[in-house]
Amino acid sequence: MDIGAPLRIIEIEPVSLPLPETLPEPERIPDTEPAEPG
Amino acid sequence: MGTIPAPLETFSASATDPILAWRTWTLAGSRDLGEMRLLPIAGDGKPWPVRDPARAACRRPPRHHIVSGFGCRCGLHATRAPDPVRRTRDPAVLGTVALWGRVIEHEHGYRGEFGYPQRLRLACYLCFWQWGVPGACEVVARRLGGRMVPLCGPHLELSLRYGFRVGRLLPAHHVEQALLSTYAVDVLRSVIPER
Repeated sequence: MDIGAPLRIIEIEPVSLPLPETLPEPERIPDTEPAEPG
Repeated sequence: MGTIPAPLETFSASATDPILAWRTWTLAGSRDLGEMRLLPIAGDGKPWPVRDPARAACRRPPRHHIVSGFGCRCGLHATRAPDPVRRTRDPAVLGTVALWGRVIEHEHGYRGEFGYPQRLRLACYLCFWQWGVPGACEVVARRLGGRMVPLCGPHLELSLRYGFRVGRLLPAHHVEQALLSTYAVDVLRSVIPER
């Protein structure tokens, strides 16, 4: 993989580590039947 | 043909946002897909850690020099655009990677001190090499030692016709899901750069 000649140095100190994106919580399924209307 | 800029060790900048770039990996996994690991195409062959940053190391002289060294080739390599990684040898996974720490910017890519994959997808290496797209992988050939080779349907047929020993065939969707789950990242949906 040829990335060519070096150009410059960049020092990057991320505010937070770019580790795995937080996976969305699975959609919660209510464990009780909704109350009947009325 | 453009001129190659002279290296300027003093030309440096600082930033807080990691650089997002492109790279490929090979892939190894256990039979039950419980253990999946990204491996570099070249270099020391050490697997990329799971849910922990990969950190570049260098054994070239001078010993204990700073990684990534401006005058060295060390560091986690990645390209600005996806097309140049087509020429990597037998890739199994294409993706984007976040790089940070000491990063050397090159004409066509970067060398980073730390890195972690951001989006991944399996790549049929023959489709990727020929057309620059990772292809719609249907199966993954798991070879001796756990090396995994994703293939699209037509290239699986071609491989079988020419006597390529494919080993055990696994559904590509299951392998990709196991890979994404292991590294806790999302699938790469497009090979068009996001920025």
